[in-house]
Amino acid sequence: MKNKWISGVSALCLIMTLPFINWIKVVNLVALFSKIGVTKEMAGDLLTGYNLFNLLSFVQYSRQGVLGLFAMVLLILAVAAVYFNIAFIIRNVFGLGKGKGSLHLLAAGKLAFLFEFVTALATIIFVIFSNARFGMTGFLPSAVVYIELIVSAAAYIYIKVLEKKEREIYREHGLWVEFKRNWVLFVMLVPTFIYFMINNYLPMLGVYFAFTSFNFRDGLWSSPFTGFKNFEFLVKADLFRLTKNTVLYNLVFIGIGNILQIIFAILVSRVTVKWFKKTSQTLMFMPYFVSFVILKVIVYNVFEYQYGLINNIITGMGGERIDFYNNPAYWPLFITFFYLWKNIGYGMVVYLATIMGIDNEIYEAAKVDGAGDLQQIWYITLPHIKPTFIILLLYALGGIMKGQFELFYQLIGNNGVLFNATDIFDTYVYRITMTQPLSIGLGTAAGLYQSLFGFLIIVLVNYVVKKKNPEYALF
Amino acid sequence: MAKDLDYEQSVPKTIKKSTGTKVFETVAYILLSLGAIICVLPFIIIVSGSFTDNSTILTQGYSLLPRDFTFSAYQTIFKSPKDILQAYKMTLYYTVVGTGLGLMMITLTGYVISRKEFKYRNTVSFLIYFTSIFGGGMIPWYLMYANVLGLKGSTLAIWFPALMSPFLVILMRTFIVGAVPDAITESAKIDGAGHFTIFFRIVLPVLKPGLATVGLFLALGYWNDWYRSSMFSTNSSTWQLQFYLYDLLNATTAMKQMASNVSMKTADLPTESVKLAMAVVATGPVLLFYPFVQRFFVSGITVGAVKG
Repeated sequence: MKNKWISGVSALCLIMTLPFINWIKVVNLVALFSKIGVTKEMAGDLLTGYNLFNLLSFVQYSRQGVLGLFAMVLLILAVAAVYFNIAFIIRNVFGLGKGKGSLHLLAAGKLAFLFEFVTALATIIFVIFSNARFGMTGFLPSAVVYIELIVSAAAYIYIKVLEKKEREIYREHGLWVEFKRNWVLFVMLVPTFIYFMINNYLPMLGVYFAFTSFNFRDGLWSSPFTGFKNFEFLVKADLFRLTKNTVLYNLVFIGIGNILQIIFAILVSRVTVKWFKKTSQTLMFMPYFVSFVILKVIVYNVFEYQYGLINNIITGMGGERIDFYNNPAYWPLFITFFYLWKNIGYGMVVYLATIMGIDNEIYEAAKVDGAGDLQQIWYITLPHIKPTFIILLLYALGGIMKGQFELFYQLIGNNGVLFNATDIFDTYVYRITMTQPLSIGLGTAAGLYQSLFGFLIIVLVNYVVKKKNPEYALF
Repeated sequence: MAKDLDYEQSVPKTIKKSTGTKVFETVAYILLSLGAIICVLPFIIIVSGSFTDNSTILTQGYSLLPRDFTFSAYQTIFKSPKDILQAYKMTLYYTVVGTGLGLMMITLTGYVISRKEFKYRNTVSFLIYFTSIFGGGMIPWYLMYANVLGLKGSTLAIWFPALMSPFLVILMRTFIVGAVPDAITESAKIDGAGHFTIFFRIVLPVLKPGLATVGLFLALGYWNDWYRSSMFSTNSSTWQLQFYLYDLLNATTAMKQMASNVSMKTADLPTESVKLAMAVVATGPVLLFYPFVQRFFVSGITVGAVKG
């Protein structure tokens, strides 16, 4: 791009956003502190000015939970603004990201300045909001905020003009033109947009509760902000056990599950009697279709102390009854068994489809060369299903932090005796949601840890796979 | 598209089988039979238990074949079927509304993100896929419906959250791409057809297997679901069938423990065989339809596994 000086503007914006400069001044100290009930010893921890990065400490020390969510959104915006500005400067200075002239670069610049602008604007709104909330002028935005606002707006408009010229050269068009041309397609997406906003994206903001300590007096939105207290508690109490259980169960499910699915798929593919093939596949796929509540009925009837099938057989042979429901040692085995029971048919279908796709002539040629059944499987079938296996494995590894909630909850329920061996993140969080409203901060923290950790694993797996063999990449 | 997997093709045709092959096949038959039996056995226990006299269960425990064959459990259920009929009605309602709306939304989305002229198709696809790798967790999700939207106790909270899923959207896109060649939609566009015309006149008619597959996945999900009732229902008249069954199991277990402590009267509680009969009634429709619709699930899983 000819206009390299624009990265200077970006750098200026960037420096103004960094944590050295205070964006929010606390004025009328005494009046404000007495108004929001800050005691003398609390006031010792408070500053007279805050940037967006330590604003949450004000929320924490002053116990003003009602500002917390807002402050967190400001923090996220500030971090995003810093990130996009750095990205823009690097691309601009080193001339990266060339494609269709400098359109990509300009888009990056637009993003950077847009975030700066929104951050500054949101800061001003925050000040207005908190002043209105406390009924007095307690906060003021510093001059930097106004400079930031004006500079980023001007830079944004300037880039927009550049972009327009550039677009005419490359016959590209922006969102507005796209919308006018294909508005029907946008309309078709409206229900989907609403659904994913409500069901997935808006709840993401709720991870804020992970940093609060909920109480009924202050309610959901103004409960005190406590920083990483919930996480500290979690690390001390349950985190290790939950992580261990979730990951280990999933590893066992993935390992044994895939092996059995492959074995049974191969067996089905090599049986010659057609009705037997069909029937055995149908029957093994059947458990996939029943609900987990029915599974609960089944497990209960098999392992119950008084009338259960197993104890019935044991006493029939003159043995002692076994109290399964009070002995955690059995349950990892049972859970694994019923997971396999329910899912073997599903994976079998996937592998069977791959095996069906293998050219029959390869087998014929091998047979002519005198290869036996096992040799055919080893040298032909297995290499052919390797890609499917790897794809399924990668997906499964990506979900290694996700628990089989319905399976565990229906088999174990609220039977605390068995928790040590069977509690996973999902059941833990579910119990908190349903029965311990005071611990929702803790539950959200556990959920957030699970989500983030799982997300990191997926990104990592994907990165490694992309390096090794891009064909298998998840995204 | 949704044809049964062709079994013939994979079988190596041989004229004479060697001894090794014979041994191998025998082992295969045995293992497959074992696998199939293990998968079916629990169903048999439930069904035969539901036809067994309750006192027999209490004295001799569960067994594989019904002893003292009787319909009494089913008679008990259908003598006062009000509760279970209500749960049935509600589940049917959730399944029909959820599957209908969800199928419509998924198909529209699949259509949009399969259109090449839609510039943001990859962005939209990624935003949908992203929800399956990162989320806020169960509590923010719950608070969104219960506190922010205030839907606790509403039936909306039970069917709305399961309308769509990233897997089904991507599956539908794959079906659409496979069923509708670009050339056809292009020529329709040249003839002046709008997107709605193309969608309803050209895409939908050839998409029947895809619609059936995605619709059946949705319907199965709604039928088997229980936990949204446990989270959002405030009144048992809105319960899903599976949750009704779940509650029945839990209530009787808890009551039995109490009864053994304070020698309470347990005659009013559903007996073991009645519980099993309930399970049969609740899961009956699924297993009844299963043999006929299995092929759609097979095709869905196969198509989805290619690039899900």
